[in-house]
Amino acid sequence: MAQEPVSKPFWRRAFPLDLHEESRYSRREFARFLAVVSAGFTVGIGYLWGRKRPLEGAPGEGARHEPVPLEGAAELKAGESKLFTFRDADDRCILLRTHEGKLRAYRQTCTHLGCAVRFDGKRLECPCHMGFFEPDRGFPVQGPPTRPLAGIALEVGPDGSVRAVGDLAKPTEGGDA
Amino acid sequence: MRKLPRKAHLSDAALAVALLILAIQLYLFETVLGAVLDGYRAILPGSFFVSLALTAVALALAFKAPDLEE
Ligand code: FES
Repeated sequence: MAQEPVSKPFWRRAFPLDLHEESRYSRREFARFLAVVSAGFTVGIGYLWGRKRPLEGAPGEGARHEPVPLEGAAELKAGESKLFTFRDADDRCILLRTHEGKLRAYRQTCTHLGCAVRFDGKRLECPCHMGFFEPDRGFPVQGPPTRPLAGIALEVGPDGSVRAVGDLAKPTEGGDA
Repeated sequence: MRKLPRKAHLSDAALAVALLILAIQLYLFETVLGAVLDGYRAILPGSFFVSLALTAVALALAFKAPDLEE
């Protein structure tokens, strides 16, 4: 009597690939690979912990920097904006005046994938994937971003001149000027 | 085709735990990165030690889990 063929699982019949390598790797080798990747994540978190400089676009914890005078800030009308650099030449920021007449400043780095945001008079918009942020506190209101923009603390001198003085510890804290 | 020694075989449960640990690590890292980008660094020490503990379990499973025939 002919011997019954060993029944194969459905997926083997659906994908009848005969991979010679498929038995080269044992479960233990695979588990070792998983453990090494897991260790990689631990090293990554350790790196973030040990890193002194804030990540690109991330606010330092209430850190103060060399104040940067913002020329022409007082003359900004509601709905207007102006670009400036803060920590260094690559730290691009945007200063704007909201319709309520408040001055606000944010890092230009979109919290989605890092494109530069601009002010359209009503909202901050990121042209890359049409993400929008409200100008008062930098919260995302539309599109892919889920985290608020990093806010810059502003200070108004006795003579009315405006200066950028540091990072807001949390972008949700008011940056009144 | 090279026949694998039975020694290399892990149980289903051990493999499932190793996979689960990796999924948790991925989620943890993503959450920590998001928080750091928002300026919350206080969670870093705690998450580091949680991640370290998970890695220790994953390594123990990968190198020390008993073979199937044992
Ligand atoms: S990078 Fe800004 S919305 Fe994607």
